[in-house]
Amino acid sequence: MTSSRDRFDFMSLSINRRAVLAAAAGFAGIAAFQTGAFARLLQDVSKTGVDPSKWNIETINALAGTITVDTAAELHALVPDTASGKVSLWINGPVESTPQIAKDFYEEFGTIFKTWYPNLELDRQNVDYNDLLDKLRTASAGGAAPDVAKMPILWGVEFAARGDLQEIILEDYGLSKELFWEGALKSVTWEGKYYGIPTNNETMAFIWNKQLFADAGLDPENPPATWADVVAYSKAIKEKTGAFGYGMVAKVNAGNTPFRYMPMVWAYGSSALDEAETAPTMKTTMINNEGGVAALQNMYDMYVTDRSVPTSALTNTQVENQDLFISGQVAMMIAHPSEYVTMQNKLAAAEGDEKALAQTVVDNMSYGLIPEGPVRRSVVFGGSNAHIFTDKAHGGAINAEGAKAVVAALTSPEWALKNNWTDSNPANLRGFETEWMKQRLTDIRFLEVTTSMLPYGVPFPVVPESTEIMNIIIPEMIQNALTETMSVQEAADDAAARITELISQA
Amino acid sequence: MQLTAESPPNEPRRKRGLLANIAHHWADYVYILPAILVMVLVIGYPIVYTVWLSFHDTPIRTGDHIFNGVDNYREILSSPKFWKTTKNTFVWTIGSTGGAFILGFAAALVLHKQFIGRGVVRAILLIPYVISAVAAAYVWKWMLHSDYGLISGVLKDWGIIDQNLVLLDSKDRVLPTVIVVNIWKEFSFVMIMMIAGLQTVPEQLLRAARVDGAGVWQQFTHVTVPYLKNVILITTLLLFVANLNSFTLVYLMTGGGPANASQLWITDIYNIAFRSLGYGLASAYSVILFLVMLAAGWYYVRILTQGSKRGAS
Repeated sequence: MTSSRDRFDFMSLSINRRAVLAAAAGFAGIAAFQTGAFARLLQDVSKTGVDPSKWNIETINALAGTITVDTAAELHALVPDTASGKVSLWINGPVESTPQIAKDFYEEFGTIFKTWYPNLELDRQNVDYNDLLDKLRTASAGGAAPDVAKMPILWGVEFAARGDLQEIILEDYGLSKELFWEGALKSVTWEGKYYGIPTNNETMAFIWNKQLFADAGLDPENPPATWADVVAYSKAIKEKTGAFGYGMVAKVNAGNTPFRYMPMVWAYGSSALDEAETAPTMKTTMINNEGGVAALQNMYDMYVTDRSVPTSALTNTQVENQDLFISGQVAMMIAHPSEYVTMQNKLAAAEGDEKALAQTVVDNMSYGLIPEGPVRRSVVFGGSNAHIFTDKAHGGAINAEGAKAVVAALTSPEWALKNNWTDSNPANLRGFETEWMKQRLTDIRFLEVTTSMLPYGVPFPVVPESTEIMNIIIPEMIQNALTETMSVQEAADDAAARITELISQA
Repeated sequence: MQLTAESPPNEPRRKRGLLANIAHHWADYVYILPAILVMVLVIGYPIVYTVWLSFHDTPIRTGDHIFNGVDNYREILSSPKFWKTTKNTFVWTIGSTGGAFILGFAAALVLHKQFIGRGVVRAILLIPYVISAVAAAYVWKWMLHSDYGLISGVLKDWGIIDQNLVLLDSKDRVLPTVIVVNIWKEFSFVMIMMIAGLQTVPEQLLRAARVDGAGVWQQFTHVTVPYLKNVILITTLLLFVANLNSFTLVYLMTGGGPANASQLWITDIYNIAFRSLGYGLASAYSVILFLVMLAAGWYYVRILTQGSKRGAS
């Protein structure tokens, strides 16, 4: 919200320098964008913001390195370097197993922020992913929330619904909606207003072991084209090699489960609510329509009928899948580009016979598009958003300038990219045009494949009930079917009834 | 010269009322006042607030607290999932308590006797008790893994089985499996308590029983067990309450699955509170759990007290 001092007053010719610079930066960004490569890409705006036919591996490579950004200048145009005080930021930062380059960028961000704003003390807390949501809920309920938090894409809506987040005007940050994926902006929208800015977005891709494909008599160079093919390939691999075909994940209370199941659900024309539809209402469920039942039947066929997926799928997360993949016991899985680095790390730690086996797996590891279904190709649109809490949630006045500076830095093309170097992409589309994107495409194998899935991204329903739907109801539906506690139709109907009741209480 | 007035002989002392008693011991209460204040703050306030919250609806979207009477209790008690979870909880609690008690008592009886290496054996048997529950959960989860578990691997190598054991991923076998893990984790506690108790059983009583012709089993049932009755009651009460509240092993090993086959009250409460954000519903659930524990505790204390009175008379 701008103050009267910031308004451009034609009558009195009273011009606020800060407002002019901010507007200039914004207009410059938009102008550069509109004349740049992305403008041409967005001429045919699809549901996800970019025409998939124009967003491909070749385009991504061609865009990289076409612009130079001066982050300090862009930030100071929004918030002057005289900003002072203390500003707190909670973030899910690097852990022990994080690649070193990500740890280095994390440290560098803290250092360089100090040079941008010498009088602003950034109190940055690195909170473990599994603790962050509960800590934020507790803190905001108790009036102890930080000024700024970077939250995974699904989390912000419940805080926005409770009035714990400040509304954000993109133009105040020199940004526009054309600079973001439509799915990303949906995730920061509540009742028609933005309550955050996307920092990074990612989608996953389909990974397979070419050696196991060859051993099973399948084309090693091409992944299954459809989900029906996944079921067939999985069965063939199990029958001919003894290894499991598809690395299914079906654990309750594990985020990995919906991230790997929902792409198939959407591909069959179903949804948890109606989030994959052109104009979602988020008020009705489609989980037990014909497509939803077909998707669940695929899971049943693989787990119960063909036994072509790990028996431990009901308690596995992707972490357990990684061990099965590197040991050549699983041929296919869905994961991030960082999975390749993870496999290399596991190879480095292996010894003896296991090392040779792991080497074979890494050498034969390949990435491709997630299979499509009868209706569409889709993938979960993931990422994170930066949010500013309200004074009430913070338990006192937010450092408005400091918070704006932090959010602007997190969403800048340079740091939206660097802060998410190994496992995501800048949400600010200008990040794809920077020189650092060029370096990433060189350094990170298969990045262009996962990035090319972005236009197919569908965000989870942007409702506060999404966590319960995706982490509890959907996985329990899968488990009810796979343990034959219920039939496939009954499990889908049960999930639909639970979702309907949950939404009706909203 | 007498300095104090004494009650006339043959007249019973008058009992003080409660308030008079408190006033008489006012200095004692001052000493424990800080502890009482901490307890009121850390235990009392959350209990009162939880009971209050249990009569309210807490919509996710607004975070408001809307009074809804006993609707939360009605919803829980009419849910089929609650009764399935209740059955799991009691199987888990009674199974874990009974199993840990039998195994722990047996270990204590063995270790009560002198033999070479007794100290080493006792130290080894204490390991499950000192390992953190989180570490134990992850190690056992790895050992019992349906596809690359150590136990299946070893049994297959020895030719005992030809296919991997499916335990944690089986809705029929998951609960007995986690109970076995829990018994392994807890039996050391029983062993320590029973060893301490056995050392208080007078050797003369056992000798006298032997002189009277009592066999080993009769000595155990007629001398040892009656003498250890209070220790047994306290140990089983502590185990019962601990198992009713036990969260870590089940949550980390199975998450309550597959298909809620290992879901317990406490893990269900956690999911409702922190995954579904149903704080009112979770509070009602917690109150039900609290009342069950209160009833169990009251019953045990009553048996204990009656036993003490009988012993004193």
